[in-house]
Order: sequence, then structure tokens, then C-alpha cells
Amino acid sequence: MKKFFAKNGPGYFFLIPWFIGFFCLALGPILYSLYLSFTKYNIFKPPKWIGLENYEFMFLYDDRFWKSLEVTFSYVFMSVPGKLIFALAVAMLLDKGMRAIGFYRALFYLPSILGGSIAVAILWKQLFEYNGVINSLLAKIGIEGPYWLNDPNYSLYTLVMLGMWQFGSPMLIFIAGLRAIPRELYEAAEIDAASKWKQFYAITVPLLAPVIFFNLVLQMIDAFKTFSSAFIISGGAGAPLDSLNFITVYLYNEAFAFYRMGYASSLAWILMLIIAVFTGVAFFSSRYWVHYENERD
Amino acid sequence: MTKIDRRKFMKAAAATTGAVAAVSTMGTQAFAADSTIRHFWWGNPSRDKRTFGVIEVFNKKHADIEVIGETLSFPDYFAKLTTQVAGGNMPDVIQQGYGVLFEYVDNGALKPLDEFVGKSLDLSKIDKSALAAGTVNGKLYAVSIGANSHMALTNTRLFDEAGITFDPFGWTYDDVKSIGVEISKASPDGVFGTDDNTANYQNFSDFVGQKGVTMFNADTGDYQVSAELVEEYWSMWTAIREAGATPPGKASAGLIKPPMAEWGVVTGQTAISYAWSNQLVGAQGLVQDKLGTAMYPNTPAMTPGSIVQPSQFICLTRDTVDGVAATTYMSAFVNDTDMTAILGLERGIPANPDVRAALAPNLSEAEAASVAFFSGIQGKTATLPPPPPSGANEIEQTFERIATGILLGQDSIPEAAANFIRQAGFIRRRAG
Amino acid sequence: MTDLSIQEASEIAHNYRVIRDKRKRRAAITKHLFLAICSLIMVYPLIWMIVSSVKPDNEIFGNISLWPSEFIWQNYPDGWNGLFLSFTVFYKNSIIVTVLAVIGNTLSCSFAAYAFARLEFKGKNIFFALMMMTLMIPYHVVLIPQYLLFLKIGWVNTFLPLIVPRFLAGDAFFIFLMVQFFRQLPRDLDEAAMIDGCSPFKIYWAVIMPLSLPALATTAIFTFIWTWEDFLGPLIYLNDIRDYTVPLALRNFISQDSVSMFGQLFAMSILSIVPIFVFFIFFQKFIIRGIATSGLK
Repeated sequence: MKKFFAKNGPGYFFLIPWFIGFFCLALGPILYSLYLSFTKYNIFKPPKWIGLENYEFMFLYDDRFWKSLEVTFSYVFMSVPGKLIFALAVAMLLDKGMRAIGFYRALFYLPSILGGSIAVAILWKQLFEYNGVINSLLAKIGIEGPYWLNDPNYSLYTLVMLGMWQFGSPMLIFIAGLRAIPRELYEAAEIDAASKWKQFYAITVPLLAPVIFFNLVLQMIDAFKTFSSAFIISGGAGAPLDSLNFITVYLYNEAFAFYRMGYASSLAWILMLIIAVFTGVAFFSSRYWVHYENERD
Repeated sequence: MTKIDRRKFMKAAAATTGAVAAVSTMGTQAFAADSTIRHFWWGNPSRDKRTFGVIEVFNKKHADIEVIGETLSFPDYFAKLTTQVAGGNMPDVIQQGYGVLFEYVDNGALKPLDEFVGKSLDLSKIDKSALAAGTVNGKLYAVSIGANSHMALTNTRLFDEAGITFDPFGWTYDDVKSIGVEISKASPDGVFGTDDNTANYQNFSDFVGQKGVTMFNADTGDYQVSAELVEEYWSMWTAIREAGATPPGKASAGLIKPPMAEWGVVTGQTAISYAWSNQLVGAQGLVQDKLGTAMYPNTPAMTPGSIVQPSQFICLTRDTVDGVAATTYMSAFVNDTDMTAILGLERGIPANPDVRAALAPNLSEAEAASVAFFSGIQGKTATLPPPPPSGANEIEQTFERIATGILLGQDSIPEAAANFIRQAGFIRRRAG
Repeated sequence: MTDLSIQEASEIAHNYRVIRDKRKRRAAITKHLFLAICSLIMVYPLIWMIVSSVKPDNEIFGNISLWPSEFIWQNYPDGWNGLFLSFTVFYKNSIIVTVLAVIGNTLSCSFAAYAFARLEFKGKNIFFALMMMTLMIPYHVVLIPQYLLFLKIGWVNTFLPLIVPRFLAGDAFFIFLMVQFFRQLPRDLDEAAMIDGCSPFKIYWAVIMPLSLPALATTAIFTFIWTWEDFLGPLIYLNDIRDYTVPLALRNFISQDSVSMFGQLFAMSILSIVPIFVFFIFFQKFIIRGIATSGLK
């Protein structure tokens, strides 16, 4: 017993706040939502146990569920790589000694600051209107722009662009990560006349791998859970033609507009399982490409 | 939770977080009143200021009751109310719309008012029709605080420039087409005659009434509209669009239940938009040209389809701690002329004739226009059907979604209509 | 080659230098040009918002021109007092909640992250997986269970649900972020300190924390921004308007069925990002300076 605590005690000590928070505040609601996913619960009246009926309906009969999966997956696969590459490129550009660097950094973070506000939703709609700024720019180079937000073939792209435009958070984390790489390594490489490209994949990528991994996992989770921008821009209903009916938007409406909290919970748990699988795969793969300083030997 | 509890917890908060000075000053309040009543509404800057003004007047007049106001914007309001329903701590008095009233009544979230009427709640001066609107299954659940009806808004400058005169209380869908085409022709490129109502469920519900059909069966709640009727409605608007009276279908496909800022008359893209009468004042504030008013169009038979319905109710919730105090406040809210003078027409036309008369001399131009509109539609409206049953919201959203496919030219009208009726039936079965 | 005169050789060398310099200059110009264009895209929404904030309401929508017919600076003082209470109250509430959240998150998350990154104990992987799970569940379905919990312990209508979880490491995002940074620090540091007789707490406080300024600053910045902009939490838990935070108040400018105050909304939206901007500018220095100046290596 004594030995157990001598070995594990410090770890548990540092986790005390987390233990309290997780077991007293977080776990209960999560388990309750799992319970609700097996019930019919219209919020007004107590939940009623219906077994697997919600899941059965979802997989066998609910076309909108499958459509929402398609939308969500398309969004994740389009926006995450783009956003990460963009964030890393700008972070590296801004990492170098350069005039007005702080100024640029603040500027690039701006869209993320404006992120959730109503004002940005109004602006985004105005930009992508048929007669909006984007299409008049396209017209100047002889392209007739589409109805970005109204046409289900294009609406998701505008949202992907909005997502990529708000690349400030991963960028900042990349900058912090780049700063942690010792300068001497680059200086040594410079002396060895290693090309920039070589420096990138021989020094930057391996040493930044933990941060790249973090951004990848978190951006992925975030993208799967995208809600606010899709909700506002699609008028709250995933319009047009469910092309913006992200699974989160769908479950929000099920819960709060149509009073089907039980079904919404089952949707949420399916989404969570999907995210868990992807995160698990990412963690598993990280063994092969992410190496930590303290675990080198 | 009582206030004392709360203060105790704020102290606990201070201890936990070490922010004694910052936190402990919050939320403390002198409490002399016997009864505390929470009143919750969705609002806007002007309505909030007016309503808090009213609460102040009421609290001064009633030393034994303390009313506390809570306000949020419309979309946030129902999310929060839903959470409070789950928690069993709804405010005493809440604002409700006609659309979800039944959902709340059916699930026992509201308390009938009958036991208070004639005692703490004086409804002797309220219009009979307004009282009927708040009655479900023979019990009164809701007091109207403003009447409302469908209203088409017209850009008078564009109408004048195209030289158009029409009867705003008796025009037909054919008129919409011809007027729309004329305005499209007379106006600069990119400006069209009218908004496209293919996906406008409010217009569709008018149309159903104009055809003599009641949407939901009063007893069973079944959706009684036929696929042929839906098909006729969509074909009619498609014809109006194809004649050139509306913007292209793709342009309208993004304007499903648009916020006011995106209406055709507000952006200047069209000369006619279709709204609710209590939105006139707000819309006029966003437009430089003067707005005119009209009923929604009708068929040549002129069977009434529009209804006058309460735009907003105040209701007593099942979670109230003091029904008498709460209804005393509700009573004053609709009768006390000191209070109603502050409220004005902001929530719609009041249901108390004395209140209407008292307000008449001090109306703004747009407010006067909405009053004039209301006298114009007298006798031209249909009787109010019972509040829509559970699932009505979802049917509306489904209609809008399927109609979008027609606007985009992706789906054939007969197939879409049949699909809609099938889904509406399913939604009702699932809700029941 | 042998025929090359000295003059010719020096000419070639000179040309080479010119070309190289030219290329360098061109690269620098390209870089600045790229950054400038990007900045324009980034800053456009802010300009648009500022212009909209001084436009008359009836020019914001129908009118395409960016330039207002008259400047309504009055939107700022009017907006400040445009709601039922002055924005002074909302700012005070926002600052209390945000500052406490920043303190809570940086402390409690670094605590938990230290355990996960540097200490060994039984059940570590399971706890880590559970922590990641809290990141994956869509927020909207735990909203009601969480509300019921906080209602039961009497915290509804106080700031507690917004603050206490922050002191209990409730934000898995930041735990994971710091884990990734801590794992990059050399193991020798801990070992050396351990040999000197330092306790795990001393190592955490005197060794790990000072070396992790970039990660801590990133946490502080994100917590500040996300808490400042959060509206769902305040929406659900705060009833009394005297407790409203800035984003919650901002949404009250827009009306569904009556007069909205768009000019005032934009004016207050601009003012609402000022604290974020100031905080960002101040704390981003720590990301940049980070390890470089701490002198420990």
C-alpha cells in the first residue's frame, strides 16, 4: 500500500483537481446523455426507456442522418488539411525575424477573434451573395460566380472557406511550437549548407511533430463538432436542401426545435464514437511519426 | 432557489475562487416584497426598455410584489426556456407565440388561468376573439398582448415609378404576377417585382385557407392538406417566377425564412415582401423608401385565408410559486393604462379597446399605418383555427426544405408535393 | 575555363552576386506582398464592421457602397447605453468571469498536464482517454444534464458554473496542449532536479512552468478569447440581467419581429473585441520570447 502511493502518489496528487471536476461535474451529465439516448424524452415529461429504437430508426430509416454524416465528413476532410497547411505556412513565415512581425501576427489572428459574432455571419453572407464582393472580383477575371450560399453544390465550400479563414488558433499554437525549437539546430544546418526544404523536413517537422499532432487531433475534433457558423449561415435549419445540415446542427434542432432529446442524444453518441475512432487512429499512428524528447531512448 | 440561498452560494464562490471582493457584490438586492415574480420575454432594445419601465411602474404600485424582468433575443429565448422546462424552474410569467402554445399546453407546462379570472386577473375588457385564441380544450392558458396578421410590404417608390395602383385588400395572385412583371420591367437590372413565396409557409397556409381547407383536423390533429393543393400552390408561384416577376429561383433558394435584413424590400432587390404586421415598424427603420401595406394576395373567389392571431401571449407556467401575484401582474400588463402607455404598439395591436383608444393620438407614422391596416382587414379574415398540434414546426421546416428543391429546379412539382404530404403525415404520427 | 581572364571572372562573380541579391530581394518583396494581400483579406471584416458601425441603419443593407452618407459616431455612446443596462455592467461581469477562467485554466490544466506528461501512475492511459472523451461529446446534449446538475447544487443564476469547472481542469483542450509541450522538455532536467532533492511539486513549479511560457501564454490567450466570447454558458446559467456578459447582451440588439439596432450592434461589437486585442498583444510576447530569453537550456 505504502509502496503503491510512493509510486503513484505524485501523479494522483497532481490530478486531484481533474478528478474532482471529472467525477463530480463532467461524468454524470455524460452518462446521463448516454442513458437518454435509449429513451424517448421530450423534455416536458420524464424520459421513457425504449431500448435501441433511436439507433434503429437512425440507421435504418433516417435519410437525413446519413445526409448529415456525408456533410460532416466532407467538411472535415476538406477543411482540416487546408487549415493546418495554411496555419503552418503562415506560422513559419511569421516565425522569422521580420519587420512589423507582431502587427502581422495580430492581423492574422483577427478573423479568429471576430469568429463567433453575429456580425461575421452577416458579413460572410454579404461577401458571398450573388452580387457580392467575391463574385464581382471573379467577374473581373471573366468568371461568372455561382450562387455560393443558395446552391447546395457550393454552400459547403463557403463554409470550408470560412473555417480556413479562421486559422488563427492552430497558427498560434504552431508559432509557440516553432519557438520551442532550438535556434542552434538551424544555424548548424545553415553551416552545413542544408537547403531550406531539407531544414524543414529534417528539423522542423520532427521537432514540431507533437504540436502538429495536437493541432491535427484538435482541429479534427473541432471540425466534426462544427456548429455555430453552420447554424447561423444555414438559417438554423441546415439549408439549402440539407447541404449544411451538419450532424451537430441536426441534433440541435432535434433537441431544441422538435423536442426529441432522446434521439438527439443518440445522434450525439454516434458522432462521439466516430470522433473517438478517428482520434484513436491518430493516436495509434502517432507512435510512428511523433517522437517526444523525453521518450527518445 | 431563494435569494438567500443564492447569496450563500456567492459567498461559497468567493471562498473557492479567492475573488471575494469581485463576486460578493454581485446579485445582492434589497428584498422587502412578499412575493417575487419572474417575467421572461424575447425582445429587442426598445421592447426591453419599455418592459423594464412597465415593471418599475408595477413594482411601485404593488409594494407586496416584486417583479423581476428577464430578456433574451428570440432564438436564444426558446433554447433557454427549454432548459428551464427540463429543470422545472421556468419563470412565473413567460411570453409565448401561437406556434408552440399547444406544445406547452399539451405537455402540462402551463397553468390554466380560469381560477384567477375575475379575481386577480381582470379580462372583462379584452376582445372576445383574443380570449378565444388563448383557449385550448376549453381552458384559458394565454392572454394576448398584441394582435397580428399577415402583411405584404410594398416599396411605394418602385410602385409609383412603375405607375401601379391596386387594391391592397383585394388583390389576386394574377395581380401579383402582372404587377411584379411590370415592376421588374420598369426598374433597373437586378430589381424585381416581388419576393418568391414558393418556400413561404405563411403564404401557403393562407392559400390553404383560401381554398376552404383547414390544415389540421381539430380532433385528431391530422394534416388535411392534399398533394394536389400543394402542387397547385407551387405551380402558381412557379408561373409567377417564370413570368419574370421574381428574382431567379436560385436567388430565392437562400432566402428561406430570412431575417428582416435580407427581405427583398429591405435589400432593395424586390418591391414586395411578405411579413407580419408587427414587423412593419422594424422594417421601415431599415429602408429609406416609404413602405406601403397590403394583405397577402388571394384567389379570385376571395375566400378569406389570413387570420388575425395574437403575435404574443403572456402565460403562467406550472413552475410558478405564487399564481395570484403573477396574475395580478399579468392583469396590470394588459389593463393598466400607465403601463400600456409605456408599451405602446411595440408587441402588436393591444386586445383591450380602451388601451387602443388611449394610444391612438401618439402613434408614429409606421404605427399609424399598421393601425389603418388593421381596420382595413376587418371582415376579410378567416376564423382562427385551434393552435397547431405537435410537429407543426417540423412540418413547416420540411415544407421549406422541399420547396427549396423546386426553387433550384432540381425536383418536379408533383413528386415534391407527394413527398411533402408523405413526410407531413409521418411527422404527425411520430409526434403523436 | 582556362582562358577566363581575371576581369571576366570578376564580372561573372559580380553578376552572380547581383542575381543572388535580386533573387533575395524578390523573395522578400514576394513575401511582403503575399503577407500584405493576406492581411487585407484578414482585415477586411474589421474595416467593414467599423464602417457599418457608423452608418445609419437604413444604409447597412440596401446600400452597397462602403462609404456612409453620414457618420453616426453617436452609435457608440448610444449603443453603450442602448440596452436596459449600460455596457459598464456587462463589461464588469465579463471581466470577472474571464479573468478567473484564465487563472483557473492555466493553473489547473498545467497541473493535470504535468501528471500526464511527466509522472508515472496506475491508470494513466485510461484517465487520459476519459479526459479526451470530454472533448469529443457534442456540447448541446450535455447542456440539459449539466443544467440539472448545477440546478441541484444551487449554482444556477450565479457565475459559479462558468468559473468553478475552470479551476477543476475542465478544459481537456488545454490539458492536452500542455501535455504535448511538456513532453518536449528534456528529461534530464527533472532527473537533475530529482537528484538535487526537489519534490515533484518543486519540479513542476520551478522547472517545468518557467520553461513552458509559450504553452501557458497560449492557454491564457485562448481561454481569454473563448471565455470572453462564450455565450451559451452565460445564456443558460445567468437569469438576472445584471449578471449578463457582453456577448449575451450583444445579441439583444437584434430583433426577430421589430426594430433592430444594427449600427449600435456593430459599434458595441467593435468595442467588445478591444479587450481581446489588448490581451492578445500583451500575452503573445510570451509566446515569442518563451524559452529563448529564459536562459535555461
